[in-house]
Amino acid sequence: MVPLERRRARRRAEWRRRRLVLLLMSPWLVGFSLFFGYPLVMSAYLSLNHYDLLSPPRWIGLANYRYLFGEDAQVGPAIKNTLWMIAVLVPLQVLFALGVALMLARARQGIGFFRTVFYLPALTPPVAATLGFVYILNPVTGPVNNILKHIGINGPLWFQDPAWAKPSLVLLGLWGVGNTMVIFLAAVLDVPTHLYESAELDGANWLQRLRWVTLPTISPVILFAVILGVIQGLQYFTQAYVAGNIASGQASQAGDVSSVGFGYPEDSTLFYPVLLYQHGFSDFQMGYASAMAMLLLAVSFAVTLVIVLNSRRWVHHAAGALK
Amino acid sequence: MSAAGITAPFVRRRRPAAVRRRQFLVAVANHAFLIAAAIAFLAPIGFMALTALMTSDQALSSHLWPHPFRWHNFVDVFTTAPIWRWTLNTLQYSVLATIGVLVSSIPVAYALARLRWRGRNVAFMIVLIALMLPPQVSVVPLYVMWAKLHLVGTLWPVIIPNWLGDAFSIFLLRQFFLTIPEEYLDAARVDGCGELRILFTVVTRLAKPAIAAVALFSFLYTFNDFFLPLLYTGENEHNWVLQIGLSEFRSLHQVQWNLTMAATLLVMAPVIVIFFLAQKAFVEGVTLTGVKG
Amino acid sequence: MKRVAIIAALVAVVVGAVAAVAGGARQASPTKLTVWVGWSAGHELTVFKQVAAEYDKAHPDITLNIVGGITDTKIVAAIRSGQAPEVVSSFNSYNVGIYCGTGAWRDLAPFMAKSHIKASMFPAATQYYTQYEGKRCALPLLADTYGLYYNTTLFKKAGIKSPPKTMTELAADAKKLTEKNSDGSFKVVGLDPMIGFYENVPERWVAAFGAKWTDAKGNSILSKQPGWAKWLKWHKSLLDWYGYKNLVKFQAGLGDEFSSSMAFEIGKLAMVMDGEWRVAFIQNEHPELKYATAPLPADDAHPELYGSGYINGTIIGLPKNGSHVDQAWELVKYLTTNTHALAVLSNGLRNVPSTSASTRSKELTPDAHFAPFLKIFSHPKSGTSPITASGQSYINLVQQFVIKYQAGKVKDLAAGLRDTDKQLDAQVKQAKGGGGVP
Repeated sequence: MVPLERRRARRRAEWRRRRLVLLLMSPWLVGFSLFFGYPLVMSAYLSLNHYDLLSPPRWIGLANYRYLFGEDAQVGPAIKNTLWMIAVLVPLQVLFALGVALMLARARQGIGFFRTVFYLPALTPPVAATLGFVYILNPVTGPVNNILKHIGINGPLWFQDPAWAKPSLVLLGLWGVGNTMVIFLAAVLDVPTHLYESAELDGANWLQRLRWVTLPTISPVILFAVILGVIQGLQYFTQAYVAGNIASGQASQAGDVSSVGFGYPEDSTLFYPVLLYQHGFSDFQMGYASAMAMLLLAVSFAVTLVIVLNSRRWVHHAAGALK
Repeated sequence: MSAAGITAPFVRRRRPAAVRRRQFLVAVANHAFLIAAAIAFLAPIGFMALTALMTSDQALSSHLWPHPFRWHNFVDVFTTAPIWRWTLNTLQYSVLATIGVLVSSIPVAYALARLRWRGRNVAFMIVLIALMLPPQVSVVPLYVMWAKLHLVGTLWPVIIPNWLGDAFSIFLLRQFFLTIPEEYLDAARVDGCGELRILFTVVTRLAKPAIAAVALFSFLYTFNDFFLPLLYTGENEHNWVLQIGLSEFRSLHQVQWNLTMAATLLVMAPVIVIFFLAQKAFVEGVTLTGVKG
Repeated sequence: MKRVAIIAALVAVVVGAVAAVAGGARQASPTKLTVWVGWSAGHELTVFKQVAAEYDKAHPDITLNIVGGITDTKIVAAIRSGQAPEVVSSFNSYNVGIYCGTGAWRDLAPFMAKSHIKASMFPAATQYYTQYEGKRCALPLLADTYGLYYNTTLFKKAGIKSPPKTMTELAADAKKLTEKNSDGSFKVVGLDPMIGFYENVPERWVAAFGAKWTDAKGNSILSKQPGWAKWLKWHKSLLDWYGYKNLVKFQAGLGDEFSSSMAFEIGKLAMVMDGEWRVAFIQNEHPELKYATAPLPADDAHPELYGSGYINGTIIGLPKNGSHVDQAWELVKYLTTNTHALAVLSNGLRNVPSTSASTRSKELTPDAHFAPFLKIFSHPKSGTSPITASGQSYINLVQQFVIKYQAGKVKDLAAGLRDTDKQLDAQVKQAKGGGGVP
């Protein structure tokens, strides 16, 4: 073949390959632009407008942000609650899942049974799990306080007490830790045994083996679990919304008169995504909700960046997962 | 990969009695903790089941044990609320969404894993970034868009995005596709297969466990989904999915806790059944995400 | 040739038949009007459907499709996505500022002018809460007033001869009527005024102290009106007598408000502040209950307020993108002004009829329990809550403050009220901020 023809043939193959890639990637390209790119741009635009979807958007500049950063008295509690949930639930979940996984790894019999028992609650629909917990933690009719009463403890008011509502949600979150636990279990079981052997030969006891062999080896998985937990914490909505509604006892039909359900009791379960939903879809403030969304986006990026950058220090990258 | 079996680190010599006894006590403590934890984990479901079998007045009292056992509650649930319609809506959502996820994510994952092209890594990074995006960020403009299309009140706004790629599934599949040895694909290429045919025949067959995991996770995720269905069909009872219906169950005709718990268990049941039927695929899929990811 | 003729004939026959059927169908098929209402409980929706059926029969060119259980969020969602019905109604007027301001509900002035319906046909309070800044986009469809229900058996047991008329008497009676179990939990609670419980919301209680919400310019004056602080202090002292946490615990074990185990109906509450519709519920669920009704007691310092109360009510209007507007208006006109329709609805729902004429209708079945509520409705000092640009979130903000205060989380009441005023004004400014509501 003449070099020119060869070049043309190569270019045709190149063009065919690009077409193939385009074809294969097309669903995601469309989806990404429509459901990621477009909303981001539109959110930014709407955040500078007043919009109730009943009349056209009206430009108000930074007024929404001024309200967000100064005058909306519920934003402070909402941000605090979300940060609290992340700071408390994520470490607790990781520690608890890790602890159970380590114990399971040491156990000889019954791993399959235990794994099933711990994993199943994580599969249950969050709505169903929340409903169940609100009931069993009912301070008067719920079985938990009844059992506590029999052993002489005056149980707290759980979801009815602003000081206990978030801890109740944490309990619910810990019940659903099965996903993380299974991942940790697999990771722990994957630690090469020769590392343990050499550690034992060096005279390390189980605590030292844990600290110097197990944890470093599974640190990428721990990082993964932490990032996942933080992302979920920033989106935390369903359990808080359902718990607040049910615990407040307000019939959501017949009248919609009071707003007691959002964040019940006393804004203690008012998380940032719940407030966003309330403002955007209950209060006719879609422009303002977009401003809240922009803030959430900024915080999500910042937090994830901080974690990933920090992770270089303690995460042992055996196989670069992201590259 | 994960294994249910445990291999001893090395051949054990007979250890001195003191050491053996200590190890036995440790094992007992270990198991005791696990058993206690297992009881704590099963207790909520147990309590819910007991309440589901109580009469309405008993559920409001502080009794722990039903007296008598009212199995009929599970039937009453169906007459109190349109459970069948909710189930139909949920199936419509989950099945259509899962098919869509598979159809749209497999090609994308393949392109990201096994084809070389400029911008491939950038695209993958963007997929990961999309994973981290809270849905609340995009919720307002998307709602506006669907409202203008007159689709609010239906399930289409939650179904359609799944036909245009799902970040998590793409990630999972891509990771798995990376592990397919190039030899298989080369053999097919030598046989004269075009890339598309390779994808449809060879790769999908090799990636069956990953695809099964993706299908399972998609189905499960959409079955459990609450926020998006709430947003789009919350105001239209005709299109409620099971999770919405369950959250509203107590205020429908002021239903009491015993029926609510029965309904809750009914909604949990399909998930548990599917788990037991597809246990292996579940666990493999979960470890795929965590360990390989 | 013959084949073509046959085919042509067949086509002609088919076309002719279709045209005949279509033409006939166009004449025969009535216009379907979908009406969204808030009523959903068993007896309530049935009564409304009854009245609708009467109208349906009298108007063969229309069929009515009644949908119950409607809330404001449903109405808004439907209007936003262009799927609104022909007629909508809401249980309360809190969002009228937004409905009228954004044009989501049509301006009814031209319709009213055409049909010679004057606003003065409706009592003053109902006129106020169906318009915003002069634009009227709704009409009242039955009203709600709130008063005191009390259990006469428990009153006799405690030796109380007549219902309390002042707030001091109310608190004293509540304490007298409260009974405890052997383990310290409450067996009967005299009165549970906790905001957020059953029908307790600030606007219905603060009316008894004659306190206003806004000044003439629309600014919030909670901190400037002594009635607010007075009510809140009375409210908190009664709650603290019970023990705030004890009441929360008590409430957690109660039956739902609209179930047949509602606490007042089964004797766990001796007194309750409730709307006039409770009469019908008791009639249907617990006819054996011995109770009486009276106006809510008034502030000791304002005896002239006794007999008045808080008024709000169901409103009805035409969504901006609904169809068959003229026929829809005829239905709305009928439901809101026809004395017979209002009387039937009032009798069945035990809601207050909302035109001055219908309150005097002979068709109203007299009911000793219901009579006080009619009197509250016509009392000159009865009022309602403000209609603002931020709609229900305005009222919610006040409620959130009261909830914090009643839980003991507000140390300085005066400062808290001043702060709330500021927040309310900021919220209205934000709601008006350039779009939607002018």
